[in-house]
Amino acid sequence: MNSLSTYLIISALLFSLGLLGILQRRNLIGMLISVELLLNAANLNFMAYNRFLVSDPVTGQVITLFVMGLAAAEAAIGLSIILALYRKMHSINIEAAQKMKG
Amino acid sequence: MDTSGLNFILQAAFWVTVALTIAGASIAVFPRNILYNVLGLALALTGIAGFYLYLGSLFVAMMQLLIYVGAICIAIVFAIMLSRPLHIEVPPRPARKVWMGILASVVFFIGAVGVALKTKWQVAAGHVYEASKWSVQSIGDALLTRYELVFEVISLVLLVAIIGAVITAGFSRRLSS
Amino acid sequence: MGALFRDPVLLATVLGTNIPFFSMAVILIFTRSNPRLSSRISVGSIVVSAVSAISLLVKLFSAPALQYQTLWFCSGKLNIAFGYYLDPLSLLMLTIVGIVACLVQIYSLGYMAGDPGYSRYYAFQSLFAWAMMNMVIAGSMLQLFIFWEMVGLASYFLIGFYYEKWSASQAGKKAFVMNRVGDVGFFLGLILLLIGFGNLGIPELNHAAVTHGLPKGLVTLSALLIFCGVIGKSAQFPLLTWLPDAMEGPTPVSALLHSATMVAAGVYMFSRIFPFFSASPEAMQVALAIGTVTMLLSSTMAMVTYDLKQVWAYSTVSQLGYMVMALSAGGYFAGVFHLTTHAGFKALLFLCSGIFIHEFHTNDMRIIGKKGGRRLKIPMVCMTIGALALSGVPPFSGFFSKEAILTVLAAQPSKIWYAAGLFGAVLTAYYSFRLIFHILFPKDGIEEQHHHAEHGPDAHEHEEEHHGFAFRAMAIPVMFLAGVSVVLGFTEHGLEHFLMRLVPRAGEVSAHARSAAAVHGAVNATAAAAAHAQEPSGSLLMVLGISAGLLGITLAWFEYGRKGASRKGFLSHFPAVWKLFDLRWFLDILYRKGLDTFVYAGLTSLFVKNDRRIIDGGIDGICVFTEGSGRVFSFLQSGMLQFNLVLMVLVAGAAVLYFVI
Repeated sequence: MNSLSTYLIISALLFSLGLLGILQRRNLIGMLISVELLLNAANLNFMAYNRFLVSDPVTGQVITLFVMGLAAAEAAIGLSIILALYRKMHSINIEAAQKMKG
Repeated sequence: MDTSGLNFILQAAFWVTVALTIAGASIAVFPRNILYNVLGLALALTGIAGFYLYLGSLFVAMMQLLIYVGAICIAIVFAIMLSRPLHIEVPPRPARKVWMGILASVVFFIGAVGVALKTKWQVAAGHVYEASKWSVQSIGDALLTRYELVFEVISLVLLVAIIGAVITAGFSRRLSS
Repeated sequence: MGALFRDPVLLATVLGTNIPFFSMAVILIFTRSNPRLSSRISVGSIVVSAVSAISLLVKLFSAPALQYQTLWFCSGKLNIAFGYYLDPLSLLMLTIVGIVACLVQIYSLGYMAGDPGYSRYYAFQSLFAWAMMNMVIAGSMLQLFIFWEMVGLASYFLIGFYYEKWSASQAGKKAFVMNRVGDVGFFLGLILLLIGFGNLGIPELNHAAVTHGLPKGLVTLSALLIFCGVIGKSAQFPLLTWLPDAMEGPTPVSALLHSATMVAAGVYMFSRIFPFFSASPEAMQVALAIGTVTMLLSSTMAMVTYDLKQVWAYSTVSQLGYMVMALSAGGYFAGVFHLTTHAGFKALLFLCSGIFIHEFHTNDMRIIGKKGGRRLKIPMVCMTIGALALSGVPPFSGFFSKEAILTVLAAQPSKIWYAAGLFGAVLTAYYSFRLIFHILFPKDGIEEQHHHAEHGPDAHEHEEEHHGFAFRAMAIPVMFLAGVSVVLGFTEHGLEHFLMRLVPRAGEVSAHARSAAAVHGAVNATAAAAAHAQEPSGSLLMVLGISAGLLGITLAWFEYGRKGASRKGFLSHFPAVWKLFDLRWFLDILYRKGLDTFVYAGLTSLFVKNDRRIIDGGIDGICVFTEGSGRVFSFLQSGMLQFNLVLMVLVAGAAVLYFVI
């Protein structure tokens, strides 16, 4: 817990898991959940740098707060899009949304 | 005070947090049942709040719990409720897709870890681990003086997001009814 | 420009030769819809040209050769001039062209009346007159070549005048293509001359050739190549089959172009650069052989055809052969004189045939005879006069010119040319009078039903036709030409003096004078020597010539003229020979086969294959390639979000790994 690299590795792991979720899940909400994981991994990175490298630690925390806020906004919009899509397709399977094919 | 004992507990707790976080993330990604995923997400996010504590910022940890766990996860549960995906049988995932995903993630992981380990991280000049700088007051000061613009902009972003969400959800209702 | 108006000779030349061009332009652009106005414009312009030609002839009768020149384009060491060269030969030819064109256009007022393409006809007649006149007075070979081509163009237009008729348009095409084939050789010869000699001016060429300023090989090769142009234009063997086909055009066109002037252009060109040609005895021998072959071949072809115009067409080819023979045997004056007299009587024969064709609407001599051809007095008499002139019977003009040719031929070392000439004279008389007797004494007499129907309402129209304007327009030129055929022969000595007086030319180098005189002197000396050595030789030749003509006429009389004659001709006893002559000695069949195998099956199919496979295939290939590559890349547009994401991450990760590891 006292070295930067620990946190970096953990956040890399979290990010990879989130990536895995995005790339292979077919449920739209599942993808959204994975996106949240991604964002959190990035946040953890910021906080780790903030703790170990930066001269003024306020910066990292402010960044983290803003990312959180943006994540919230993005989740809200994402959910409303999923709802709209569900009403159209009657399914939240992403493989049903291939109208852009070709 | 037996600091070494405290240290040991702290270390142990740290590793427990790590385990919980990763377990939560796995539960968020792998199972098919969407409720499991949401719960796993909540667990992971809580773990990350714990990390924030270890990284020195109580405020951020509180905010994490409040925003992510308290708001976003609940919103996702609502969305699950409204979209009713629970009874739908989906065919199994094509193996090619799974392997591509695993490949991409592994590649990324190796890349990120490699960068993290190989880089010679330089500590900035004025780095000092001082308690007073980690207080809420300093965050508040920064938000209203140095990061004022960002603060206002993000409130604008949130406004736009809310309006957008309402409209997007509203349109489709008009279309389907 | 000022110089133009200060010099009356130049003014007359430029005006006379270029007015038909303006007439053509005006007719084509403005007066197409008004036939009478078009014809008046055209006839007016040709009358002006004819008058200026005659006045030039009269004015410059005793003057030295006149040359007007202006620099046209120069490139490096090459200077091409544009100008006029007025020497006796060109003045004489200009007069011939002017007068015959004038007569034919007046004749056409009657012949072509009522034709829907009347204005177009006169426009092209003017085009022809302009091109021919400019060709005659051209000062350099290049200029001559340009107008030579224009004359061919006018011929194409006029032969294919009835363009809705398939055979007519084909004939026009054939004429033009065959001319062009000859002109390839012509142009190659010109290029060779340009490279070797550097200057294409006619007087310079003649002077240099005579003073032996040119290398031997160059002269021979370019002379042979330029002679190819003569072969093409004057319908010599082997490019002779276009001329009989050219009879698809209206008869006045045949009279003007394909008897008197255009086909004579080849012979004219030959005589223009006669000193140049005569500097190469090898080329002259080749020309002599070709001329003889042509003459004999076409005479045989004329013996088996029943088409009125075809007989005269083959006859024209044959007489052109005579002219070429004369010129290549060294007889400059003989060839030119025959050109002149031939223009006269051949145009006469065609115009008379035109009157018959116009009246009876058929070209077949048997039908014309049967329907009462001999009742049309003026054409019948004039045609007989023309045929007598053609056969070389005294006192008509043909006799004098044919005698001149035979004399020249007799002076050649080998007597075979003379024998061929005599034989040709027999054949000429035979086929001409075969035609005359077919019309004069038709088999089984004239059908009388035709005339019974003329009583009543049609009779008045018939009367009008025989004495109206159209009739006079056609009759007067015919009678004029008949008169010319009678009289022209007696001007032989005057013409000879006129043409030959500039040889040697005044004020030139004496070596030139000597050598020029030597060329002609050689001919004269041989004839004179022959005349001296065997005094009766001159009169013997004359007797032989006359008897050859009379023999032919008698043969024709025997077979066609006398009562109870079989009217089949001795050749009908040899069907194979008849077929040979009828099929033009298989020349047309050979050409067809050659075209089919080499051009159509060979070149054309190569080009078609190239077009289809290579060019089209290339473009199709681009399409296929574009489509295919699109299809290859379209898999990226799968519509699946996660697919694209995977790719993004993979690539980014790979890049990161690359830098890390």
